[in-house]
Amino acid sequence: MKLFQVRKGHFVYYNNELHRVYGVKPMYKKSVHLIRLRDLTQVLTNATGVERYKPKELDSFIYNNKAYTLSKDRKAEEGDHILIHHPMPDSLDTYSLNEIEVVETVEKQGVTTTNSHGVKHNEYLLMVPGRVNGSSPIDYQNFEGIPAENLDDIGPHHFTNPNSEQLPTLGDIYIQKDSNESFETMVIAIKGQTVYLGGGLEVSQEELMKTDKWEFLYNLLDK
Amino acid sequence: MSSKNRTGNSVFIISLILTVTFIIWGVFFTDNLARVTNTIYNGSIDYLGWVYLGATLFFVIFSIYLLFSKYGDIRLGKKTDKPSFKTASWLAMLFGAGMGIGIVYWSVAEPVTHYTTPPYGEGYSQEAANTAMKYTFFHWGLDPWAIYTVIGLALAFFQYNKKLPAAISSAFHPILGDRIYGPIGKTIDVLSVFATVFGIATSLGLGAMQVTAGMHDIFGVPNELFVQLIVIAVATVLFIISINTGLEKGIQYLSNTAMILSFTIMLLILIVGPTTTIMKVLFNTTGLYISDFVHMSLRLKPYGEGEWIASWTLFYWAWWIAWAPFVGMFIARVSKGRTVREFVIGVLIVPTLGTCFWMSIFGGSALDIVQNTGNNELATFITENVSLSIFTFFDYLPLSSLLSILGFAVVSIYYITVADTATFVLGMLSEGGTLNPSNKIKMTWGVIQSAVAAVLLLAGGLNVLQTASIAAALPFAVIMLVMCYSLLKGLKSEVELQRGHKRSTQHSGKTN
Repeated sequence: MKLFQVRKGHFVYYNNELHRVYGVKPMYKKSVHLIRLRDLTQVLTNATGVERYKPKELDSFIYNNKAYTLSKDRKAEEGDHILIHHPMPDSLDTYSLNEIEVVETVEKQGVTTTNSHGVKHNEYLLMVPGRVNGSSPIDYQNFEGIPAENLDDIGPHHFTNPNSEQLPTLGDIYIQKDSNESFETMVIAIKGQTVYLGGGLEVSQEELMKTDKWEFLYNLLDK
Repeated sequence: MSSKNRTGNSVFIISLILTVTFIIWGVFFTDNLARVTNTIYNGSIDYLGWVYLGATLFFVIFSIYLLFSKYGDIRLGKKTDKPSFKTASWLAMLFGAGMGIGIVYWSVAEPVTHYTTPPYGEGYSQEAANTAMKYTFFHWGLDPWAIYTVIGLALAFFQYNKKLPAAISSAFHPILGDRIYGPIGKTIDVLSVFATVFGIATSLGLGAMQVTAGMHDIFGVPNELFVQLIVIAVATVLFIISINTGLEKGIQYLSNTAMILSFTIMLLILIVGPTTTIMKVLFNTTGLYISDFVHMSLRLKPYGEGEWIASWTLFYWAWWIAWAPFVGMFIARVSKGRTVREFVIGVLIVPTLGTCFWMSIFGGSALDIVQNTGNNELATFITENVSLSIFTFFDYLPLSSLLSILGFAVVSIYYITVADTATFVLGMLSEGGTLNPSNKIKMTWGVIQSAVAAVLLLAGGLNVLQTASIAAALPFAVIMLVMCYSLLKGLKSEVELQRGHKRSTQHSGKTN
């Protein structure tokens, strides 16, 4: 019998893959709600199906299709991802264990995340992009039979969810950033990986996702 | 966001010097302090009354305007942000933060006191009972929540939409620009810290009296000043431990427990108390409140003594204003991802209904007991022993010992959670709006706020608490008026921004 108590925030293995528990709902039959870290897919299961893992320094894993290594070498800087592995929220903070957030500003005592949480420097592990030398992958509980390329970054064309929020959709208005003239355009058709923009432009999805070239303004269908 | 505001601790140092001066004054020249606060108190009746009345009525009108204005669709935060809390728990948290200790302290005492000494008309009469309930609704209804709406909205908007630090001075960015990081901004922050310390100290003072009264009722501990001081000391030690050991998570659980317990008590009284009378009181008083709102809002006594108005209406308005930076900070924190319209409904309308319901249950049943038994002595006893009132009231209901124990638990928990959260808010306000105030500064404020509460109790208890809030809140009332204008300017620019160039969601879409 497994007496392990699942809590919100735990990193767990489910079907051999690394997940984070985002909620425990005792009223449901499938009471443990997980999110697969590699592609942020939601999975529902129960406590017997999961095995806990405590992330530590030099562990590396794929989060949202990109590989990161946990590190304590330096303090976080603006734009870094952090894993809050040792949460000590102040009375007005709402983050919980193993939350992954993006740093917005850095102060002496700690960082402020884009989610407006104040996190002290000893509460988080920095997520350095890539697999650092000497890091140990924790993506799978058992690596037997897992192809090596599964540990590589997944490019945006491998997005499992084609309706992912970040990908261009019909009606998106973009502004071109690297042009002298002001050029605003709208996505009018998407065929495979090619996006057709108003004004007779054809670009690849990847091209349009480059934030130094194009900036997303809003979608026509948004209120 | 600029980091220049983070350098230097002048706000912390100046506000610390001001409050420490006050504490020394209170400890060594207690009589002098009592005399000076008394002079201010009398002055406030003659000179400041209209400022408070006018400002507070204006906040109500302004909040209702925001509800129906074109700014209602603006979301606090990025366009894609979702509220972090479910609506029901959001509302419960707002209610608990805004009223907390106060509502437990006053819900029986206030209606009964008004009943014995009504603002006008004959005491101990049926008429007086209706007037008492009407004024209780008035003092706890739209006005306090409008004050919180204004400040909470300003803090949330400038923090989440304009990416400014979580300080009061940030709300003045549309008017002052980068000067919010200069001397003017610092002065605003110092005044807000000063007002907040007194707002919190008033609540802690009332809380300490309430906890002592509870121990007196249940365990027979003497209901004396020195016990109140011991309560403050013990609580101070407790939350300093919590700051240093990272038990803050526990504080969050405690505060949820307090909320659930308060609702339990409310429902219990609704069931075991005079249920039909309570419902009648609720409807009747709501009618009276709505129809007399304007008169009550502007009521002063130009040709007579304004004692009653000063010790009730003005005290409340001042207390709410002094307490506002604290509550506003909390409300802003939990309201990210809501639209302005949702915010105003959630902070102004729903809690007002909630408080009216609470007051009808507690005040309505208390007045029922006093009226029906014709027990004028009981009414007088409650009036003279305000901090004991809720426990005295429980003694007249079925399940009285259960109610007393629950009530005692609620006030104790509220006390510790308010004190703990207050240290965090004061730390943020005094360190230029950082979300990571240092533990040293938090502990300093923890000790200071307890000391101020203790000094005020030493100097004369409730009266001095009331007077000190009225005096300390005045500059902040003026600040809040200007804040309304600044908020309007900010909202206007946001509407233009969202119309022309909607906020980019690309950088942040997946990280939440």
